[in-house]
Amino acid sequence: MIFSLAWRNVWRSRKRSLVVIGAMIVGVWSLIFIISFYNSFYVGFSNNGVQYEYSHLQIHHPDYLTDPNINWRVQDLDQVSARLERMESVAASSYRQKIPGMIASAKTSAGVEIYGVDTEQEAATTLLSTLVVDGAYFEGITRNPILVSRKIANKLKLKIRSKVVLTFQDLDQEITAASFRVAGIFESKSPRINEGVVYVRQSDSERLIGGNGIHEVAILLDDAEDMDEVKHALVGVTPSTVRTYRDIAPEFSLMEQSSATTQRTLTVIIMLALLFGIVNTMLMAVLERTREIGMLRSIGMHRGKVFRMILVETLTLGAIAGPVGLALGYITVQWLGERGLDLSRYSEALQEYGYDAIFYPEIENLTYFGLMITVLITAFVGSIYPAIKAIRINPLEALRKL
Amino acid sequence: MAVIEAKNVSKVYNPDKIPVRAVDDLSLKIEEGEFTAVVGPSGCGKTTLLNMIGGLDHPTDGRVTVGGEAIDQLTEAQLTDFRMHNIGFVFQSYNLIPVLTAKENVEFILLLQHVPKQQREDRAMELLRKMGLEEQADRRPSELSGGQQQRVAVARALASKPKFILADEPTANLDSHSTEALLDLMAKMNQEEKVTFIFSTHDQRVIEKARRIVTLEDGRILKDESR
Repeated sequence: MIFSLAWRNVWRSRKRSLVVIGAMIVGVWSLIFIISFYNSFYVGFSNNGVQYEYSHLQIHHPDYLTDPNINWRVQDLDQVSARLERMESVAASSYRQKIPGMIASAKTSAGVEIYGVDTEQEAATTLLSTLVVDGAYFEGITRNPILVSRKIANKLKLKIRSKVVLTFQDLDQEITAASFRVAGIFESKSPRINEGVVYVRQSDSERLIGGNGIHEVAILLDDAEDMDEVKHALVGVTPSTVRTYRDIAPEFSLMEQSSATTQRTLTVIIMLALLFGIVNTMLMAVLERTREIGMLRSIGMHRGKVFRMILVETLTLGAIAGPVGLALGYITVQWLGERGLDLSRYSEALQEYGYDAIFYPEIENLTYFGLMITVLITAFVGSIYPAIKAIRINPLEALRKL
Repeated sequence: MAVIEAKNVSKVYNPDKIPVRAVDDLSLKIEEGEFTAVVGPSGCGKTTLLNMIGGLDHPTDGRVTVGGEAIDQLTEAQLTDFRMHNIGFVFQSYNLIPVLTAKENVEFILLLQHVPKQQREDRAMELLRKMGLEEQADRRPSELSGGQQQRVAVARALASKPKFILADEPTANLDSHSTEALLDLMAKMNQEEKVTFIFSTHDQRVIEKARRIVTLEDGRILKDESR
């Protein structure tokens, strides 16, 4: 009957209870929306980083990291290659030559990093082949084709089939130059690649630098969860440095941490707001029932039971609001997760930071469970002060008010 | 045998500032099965005396024993238990729980005593039947008249078969018809359930029904007459 009494007491002041329940529902819903939106930011940023720029893992000669010189090539490449082929979790890998150099058109020149790639490997490892917005992916030009970004093309006033000259040092430290024709213009999601990377065929870059060493192995996995496992497996194969994309670009970890911190902070702020609402509501409920609680105490209701009654009433508010807020949040996330949240009006600014214009909010199932627990804990904490007030009611003083 | 014994009981409010002696060196014995009215003008100490007998207030001096047990020696929790098992309270303003039905209100004290559900329901219905409220069992207090609510309150007070019932101005808010009906019922319960009733009252109709009348003045017993 305590539960039945608590349930009926909740609805004794229907409007007041509905207001606090409504506030809790809105709080839980908005928290889910914000968390899922933050997740979409992070996941989108992270996916773009993996798909367009870093892949999951990269291997470099240890000295290449401090001095990106073409002489620092990945060691024991055959063993690395053999190991990668045996690993089921590896979806694709791209073996790249990376040569610092200059690109020059008839109008101007710019410093770039020349990626000599196996076109099939690169297409399987990154989304480069899908990013070509003008021309074709290494097609249409038979001799020395090159892919340049839209940004470089604009800067150097390049069009498809425009001629450019790449200048760089070969393995003998001699300055060498070769002319290329633009086969395709791409738009990457990576600001760094848009800014200063051009792609040529590896057969061409090998011929021009006078050697076939590989400076970077990029590895794409089927599941990012396997990243550390694959990394450890490769560390035993080559003395070269194996790094995850998080090791390479600390901004991913930083963003993940700041996203988690922001989510936690928002959760605390929203729950604090709810806490004050709950305390206020329950305090009013207790003060309104001073006489009744005094009567209950005088006929033999122990303080513990009075405390429990107020606690159950408050938890009932949370138990109603929590699932409704979660359900609304779940529906919202599912709906937006399928359709996406279109922020294309800010697409230029977002692109500058490596984001897509459309975000797909997502949230882990465990987060719903965690939020439900958080709501109940908030309700529990919110019940303590009113419950203490209730058990401190002196039955005699309460009865004198009769 | 005395169910209640108050021996040289005094109650002083504000002892350090302006002392108010609500009950002054009062001694009183209430025997089992009595139907006693404590009467007197406002401020004579009726309610204070009932509160001390009911374990809701502690005497400044003297001792109150119920069934031989000195209740002023009990801890807070023991007093709560004591009230639950030994005393039925009837209040001037009925004080039913508004969200419970008449039957649930009667059952409530049995619930606190962990009486099994079936027994609770049987006892509640038995008492409501005796109070002539069988058909109102599922109604909430707001759906009952003042007289009916006070009858539910008496049923609630009787539910746990207490040693005695303390009724503080039970008829103060009732019309004459309801007062008459309530007093008849309480007298009947006094006979049938062998429960001791102690009232504080101004109401002449209650005084007329009482078999013992204790008159207080300035916290002392002015007159104690049985009939």
